[in-house]
Amino acid sequence: MKVYAIHNLTKSYNDQPILDIDHLELEAGRIYGLLGPNGAGKTTLLNILGFLDQPTSGHLDFLGKAVRFQERDLQPLRKEVVVLDQYPVLFTNSVYRNLEFGLKIRKVEGAEREHIIDEVLELVDMASFKHAPAHTLSGGETQRIALARALALSPKVFLCDEPTASVDIENQAAIIALLKQINETKKITIVFTTHDRLLAAGLAHHTLVLNKGRLVSTSYENTFPCKIEHTNDKQVHCHLPGNTWILLSSTQAGSAAGTSRLFIDPERIELYAGEKISGAGHCLQGKVVQLMEESARVRTVVDVGFLLTVLLKREKYNSLRPGIGDTVAVSIAEDAVILSN
Amino acid sequence: MDILIDSLFSALLLVFSLDREMLAIIKVSLQVSCASTVIAALVGVPTGFFIALRRFPGKHLVITVLNTLLALPTVVIGLVVYAFVSRRGILGPLDLLYTQEAIIIGQIILIIPLVSALTIAAISKIDDRYRRTAMTLGANRVQTAKVILFEARFGITAAIVAAFGRVISEVGIAMMLGGNIQGFTRTMTTAMALEYDKGAFSLAVALGIVLMTLSFGMNILFHFFQGKYRT
Repeated sequence: MKVYAIHNLTKSYNDQPILDIDHLELEAGRIYGLLGPNGAGKTTLLNILGFLDQPTSGHLDFLGKAVRFQERDLQPLRKEVVVLDQYPVLFTNSVYRNLEFGLKIRKVEGAEREHIIDEVLELVDMASFKHAPAHTLSGGETQRIALARALALSPKVFLCDEPTASVDIENQAAIIALLKQINETKKITIVFTTHDRLLAAGLAHHTLVLNKGRLVSTSYENTFPCKIEHTNDKQVHCHLPGNTWILLSSTQAGSAAGTSRLFIDPERIELYAGEKISGAGHCLQGKVVQLMEESARVRTVVDVGFLLTVLLKREKYNSLRPGIGDTVAVSIAEDAVILSN
Repeated sequence: MDILIDSLFSALLLVFSLDREMLAIIKVSLQVSCASTVIAALVGVPTGFFIALRRFPGKHLVITVLNTLLALPTVVIGLVVYAFVSRRGILGPLDLLYTQEAIIIGQIILIIPLVSALTIAAISKIDDRYRRTAMTLGANRVQTAKVILFEARFGITAAIVAAFGRVISEVGIAMMLGGNIQGFTRTMTTAMALEYDKGAFSLAVALGIVLMTLSFGMNILFHFFQGKYRT
């Protein structure tokens, strides 16, 4: 079942396009990670999905019904979806009153209310804070109470803006575990934004990447600033960080000049043990600095003057067995390199 | 110097002996100040709330006018209200001149801009995340407005306390519209002005002590409650 279906949705501020999504469907009961750099439109999309903001144009369906962005139509929909802010605020009364707020609005009876509040406080491991003044809580505790306040309402969708950005490592782990747990036990659809690729990979069933307001099929990884230089012999040099450069074909470079951004698809990079290899594509040499297991792949970060992520299939990894500090060579397929302005 | 020490000593005697005349003056002062503050709060807080949260053409002009009215001299208000409530004025038949009601009307006009402007400032300071949080938890417009009002409660209380302080210490309106009639429209400030004219400082200083104590007490109370919600 589809929770959301988006068609040709745009959002502009002062005629500046912020969001432009042709088509997007989100399935119920899944966890979606929304990746992208600052200003990519992640929070704007989250606010539109949470019915807190309205698109400039386009269609949004929620649970199979078209959403009419008028206040009287939006308020009932907001009872099904809760947005958790990156830096959540608690109302300046007790934790109990905070948790009670949404339940009272939904006209939940007193005894039932009390039961739900106790249950969610247990869930976030904050039962002893039930009557504490909310303004005395730390950042991590505030985040957990805000999470409990949202969970108390048993929403169909939970939208979290950078859920772990403002908390310490201990609270980060607790929040990630909680999000997983509520998705598994309560089947709540979760959409969260993050800059953290590892968090997205570890928590989300699906990862969506936004760049300049558009959904991009490419990964958010391996995007580097670069400087384009057209040489006299009609070659195009693309200077990357760390005094590294690669040669682009004139087709790839197009009319690009000056500073630009280069994306290298991490799944289209070949890794070789040992010294430099000769072969098709761009060849670079470096040292393995990070390895991380990730479902059927192994994320390998190689320092080639800049940190290049290579997604190795498990079989390939098993055959190579690169270790931290090993010298390796990478070969980047020509069509794995995309230049964008 | 002696006159000041003697007056202070006599004033303290008056205060601690709970002098009947002094108590009557304090009673009138509190009656008119409380009435005007309550009415001005009932009008000024919703007005400020509306102006702060709504977008409408001329909003900035309205705020500028309100801020300008903060500097309105009490004698100008006294004069304008006098023109309305005097026997020849539109409200002449109501026979309001030299009554507590006339003072209250003047004082309300004096402090509505103050309450509204300070309410606007208090509401504008409230983080927009409170509004968004209330909305995402399912609150309708009225419930969201109540949340904002709750979060701005200290700012709004400060506005009301400031308004009370303004009216209890003003003299122009009380003198021009109340007429300083003993036991009826004589307030602490008009009594102090009269006692000064007479050269009798004891009661004036005693009323001054009461006035200062009242202001001090209200501010202490306000800061005590505000402090409970500060981290």
